[in-house]
Amino acid sequence: MSDQFNSEVWTEKYRPKKFEDMVGQEEILKRVKSLTNSMNIPHLLFAGPAGTGKSTLALIVVKQLFGESWRDNYLELNASDERGIDVVRQKVKDFARTKAIGNVPFKVIFLDEADALTREAQQALRRTMENYTSTCRFVMSCNYSSKILDPIQSRCVVFRFQLLEKKDIKKRIDLIAETEGLSITAEAFDALYEASEGDCRRVINLLQATSSISPNITPDLINTIVSKAKPSDIKVVLDYALSGDFQNSREKLLDIMLKESISGQDVIKAIQKEVWNLPIDNSLKVALTEKTGEAEFRLVEGSDEFIQLEALIASFVLAGENQVREGAGVVGGV
Amino acid sequence: MISVENVPWCEKYRAGCFADVKGQELAIDKVKTFLKSFPKKKAVVLHGTPGTGKTSLAYAIAFEMDAEILELNASDLRNKAKISEIIGPASQQRSLFKKNKIILIDEVDGVSATKDRGGLGELLGLIEKSAFPIVVTANDIWQRKFNLLRRKTELVQLKEVDYRIVLDVLKGVCEKENCVVSSEVLTSIAIKARGDIRAALNDLQLLSKMESPELVKEVGERNREQSIFTALQFVFKNARIDSEMIRVYDEVNMPIDDIFLWIEENIPLEYKGAELAKAYDALSLADVFRGRIRRQRHWRFMVYEYFLLGAGIAASKKYNRTGWTGYKKPSRILKIWLQNQRAAKKKTICQKYAKHCHISTKTAMKDFMLLKQILVGSEIRTELKLSNDEIAYLDKPLTA
Repeated sequence: MSDQFNSEVWTEKYRPKKFEDMVGQEEILKRVKSLTNSMNIPHLLFAGPAGTGKSTLALIVVKQLFGESWRDNYLELNASDERGIDVVRQKVKDFARTKAIGNVPFKVIFLDEADALTREAQQALRRTMENYTSTCRFVMSCNYSSKILDPIQSRCVVFRFQLLEKKDIKKRIDLIAETEGLSITAEAFDALYEASEGDCRRVINLLQATSSISPNITPDLINTIVSKAKPSDIKVVLDYALSGDFQNSREKLLDIMLKESISGQDVIKAIQKEVWNLPIDNSLKVALTEKTGEAEFRLVEGSDEFIQLEALIASFVLAGENQVREGAGVVGGV
Repeated sequence: MISVENVPWCEKYRAGCFADVKGQELAIDKVKTFLKSFPKKKAVVLHGTPGTGKTSLAYAIAFEMDAEILELNASDLRNKAKISEIIGPASQQRSLFKKNKIILIDEVDGVSATKDRGGLGELLGLIEKSAFPIVVTANDIWQRKFNLLRRKTELVQLKEVDYRIVLDVLKGVCEKENCVVSSEVLTSIAIKARGDIRAALNDLQLLSKMESPELVKEVGERNREQSIFTALQFVFKNARIDSEMIRVYDEVNMPIDDIFLWIEENIPLEYKGAELAKAYDALSLADVFRGRIRRQRHWRFMVYEYFLLGAGIAASKKYNRTGWTGYKKPSRILKIWLQNQRAAKKKTICQKYAKHCHISTKTAMKDFMLLKQILVGSEIRTELKLSNDEIAYLDKPLTA
């Protein structure tokens, strides 16, 4: 490849470098390209699911604008990693203090995962955007634009990214397979796509992980990698709970959360998906799903995620005990 | 008489210059900006929880500016006359010996708006007139009586100090004092201090005088434990809700977050089945109010928080119960800490990868099992500039 840096990490190596290289999002590409060509972009907000090209497009925009000197005029911040709005503000301030190098009269700040910022932080960010509007443009990305304050949205041109279609992802995979000398069967591609849920970064990561074992990519190989990479099953936690063992259930839960670095929200999501597969009455499934929803609500409102999850498994323990009691009471009960 | 032996370590090792004030880089930057722009604003308020280094930072400012410090305590702010007498003229005159002068008003929280009638007003006047920078320290600057003060001053917040920084400070002092304390014990002091360096140094000094260092865990915690044991017993054993139950945590000398952890840890030792679910439900609702207090700053919600922690948990059962239960110390925080120690390498690997690949560290952490499969070749590892330790961590087989 003719790029200045040739990464061994495929998500970087095959990250599109020009508008023409990107797949899907045709409408967005057309509009962003014409904005970029006018050499004066407004603030931009890219909303959409993971792995659909938000960061890639932001990088392409700055490379088009600044050419060789893009690194000097571009600051990338990840809202979910920065420790607070104060840090974000300080970094923006330091970056915005000096003038842009080259012909373009502004610099670009890419704020990734902007929906990780609290409302208060977003309020503060809004002021910062105003203060530096003459020297800086903000490009923000988020999964859900509803989590971005209206006043910020109204200062930005909003683009909504769609999940990539299978044929689009196939284009990228074919390119990689050709360059890297891999053989991928149609079934293998289906398995890749299934496991990735339309997230192009995940597809490429899965492919690279699989290819480290063999260049002949088969569905079996992919499934092995997927199951290896899968986070530990939350089902174990629920099994303990339904069998009445609260202590082990909560021990296991904490263990999984710490080892896999997953949040309470992720756990709730996994539990909600799992409830319907549990070997219990339908009416109980409904009741427990409602409990799960209530727990998710409290988790958002409360301050200690783990306490909310403990309360939820305590009600699973109770449900398990009631089920056993009813089953024993009715002769030949279902 | 204070012999050298008896000087409190927190005084003996008080920071001298900016570099000595640990863990407050952001605040120091702000102070520097304030000093540069002086006299655009005449005064700076250093605020933050106890032991974060407010007074130390004030002295460090004086050191860095080669300035003489003129200190006033809350008790000196009794009346207008006194303030005018002490700093009125001082603020207009230059010192004989040093070029600069700094006026320090420590612990301004202590000024009660009624008792020291005019104390705050005079302070504001002084800020207008002063020819020298004024440094004010406060624990809580958001009280209503400080409305005017906040507007006229530069606010600089000092964050609670990370336990790792506290640990470094403790280690440094141990070295200078020639006292040998295991790093495990030091770590537990550092964690217990919750960002309060002064408390940590006090604990360490106390410990160094004791015969057996294993006793460290008991330092300061002994009293607290007694009171939380009594309270837990009362809540878990009694089913009757009366005024005593409502006030059950009044005597517990412990932050409410710790009370949460104690209850959380011990519910399953006392309750089973429906009672267990009810008790956790009460705890979960109390936590919802805690979240609302944090977000909305509506402190009255504390009434409900405490009610649910006491009466709410107690009401999970129908009848009084007897017998003795050995309550356990909360273990979750320790487990989290241990896991973080173990996963430190994982985190640094993910940080490097995340920066390289334009994603967040959190996302990388979540995908770590997949990343392990990708970060296998030596080129890729060189590209990410992984250290030998990190590579060893990647190659280590998973332990169940």
